[in-house]
Amino acid sequence: MPDLNVDEIPSGASVPVSADGVSPEVPDFAFDPTDPWTETFQKGLERAGLSGKRIYEVGIGTGINVAFLLRMCGAAHVSGSDLDPRLVVLAERNVRSLAPEEANLFHPVRGEVSLIDTEEAQARIAETDVIIACLPQVGDPGDRRLTAFRKAQSVELPEGAGEKADDHIAHYYPWAAFDEYPFNSVGLGLNEALLRRIRDQAPTAQVIMNFGCRIGTGIIFEMFEANGFRPEKLHSQIVRQDAGTDISFFVMLEKALRGTGLEKDLVCVFFADEDAASPLSASEAQDLLDRDPDTPLFHEVCVIRAVPVAA
Amino acid sequence: MDVTNAIDCNGLSAAPTLLRIKQALVGLVDHALPLEILVDEGCDQERLRRSLGRHGGAVRLISRPQ
Repeated sequence: MPDLNVDEIPSGASVPVSADGVSPEVPDFAFDPTDPWTETFQKGLERAGLSGKRIYEVGIGTGINVAFLLRMCGAAHVSGSDLDPRLVVLAERNVRSLAPEEANLFHPVRGEVSLIDTEEAQARIAETDVIIACLPQVGDPGDRRLTAFRKAQSVELPEGAGEKADDHIAHYYPWAAFDEYPFNSVGLGLNEALLRRIRDQAPTAQVIMNFGCRIGTGIIFEMFEANGFRPEKLHSQIVRQDAGTDISFFVMLEKALRGTGLEKDLVCVFFADEDAASPLSASEAQDLLDRDPDTPLFHEVCVIRAVPVAA
Repeated sequence: MDVTNAIDCNGLSAAPTLLRIKQALVGLVDHALPLEILVDEGCDQERLRRSLGRHGGAVRLISRPQ
């Protein structure tokens, strides 16, 4: 039986460690598993009732969620893949150290896998009950078309925002490459692309995804509904905006709506405090950052479960 | 109606539809206009056209049953 309960773990420290105290290996190119996004996601996963389920994680990262699903949630088995092939190798090592008794239930899909775009990934997905993912929702600041749109709105890219950190692909996605998907207009193109693929490859599977709700929860729900899923929120918490992630993407969305009569239809949601008592638009949040780059900002992260309507 | 190279806005409410249109128009040359925009049957085309302002003439809104 798993011997850890995520509710007993202090905030910001949800990373499971093995019974003998082993911590995960986390090189710079991997998304930091101590980030509160991971804690939020795992609390949502814990509430999803995943015992005995066959699960696939798109974007496996350090493997921390795989270990969590196997040790804490009683998953029947977990498969997964990542765009960065180094991460699957890392995940295998971490799962072996964090969940040694369940490590044989982890079936990684090796190599570079964009979303689920390989035959092996699709074969795995086809025999999966639940697909989980936490994908970037911000277009790459260096994207050429996004840059043109930014300039059209007279929004400056903050100093340093164009520099690529080692874990760049965990935070941003190539925006123009996903422009065939309608919700790309608000930064959800990569997520919508995954939903379409799941609908085709595993039409009865549930989806559990982790979202930053800076664009507003309503529009995220609309994306699920437009793609044939019925969404529900499993868990939500307020987290600090990652200091290294550019928010000018959201500012340009707001600016593009100014003077159109639709300004109130889409206002991004940040907070000045961790109690979420003082909401800020993206423009207001950016103003604060421009005055002091160390200004703490907060936003909601939520875990959404979506069931296919046709299933 | 045969629609080619249309921008798909199905499923989007008014604000993200307008954003998608504005994003699509950036960098487009005049001979590529008007841009065809596929919108939901329930889309309030008049409101959307008003919101488009000076861009209104650059697009052709098209809806068809899903």
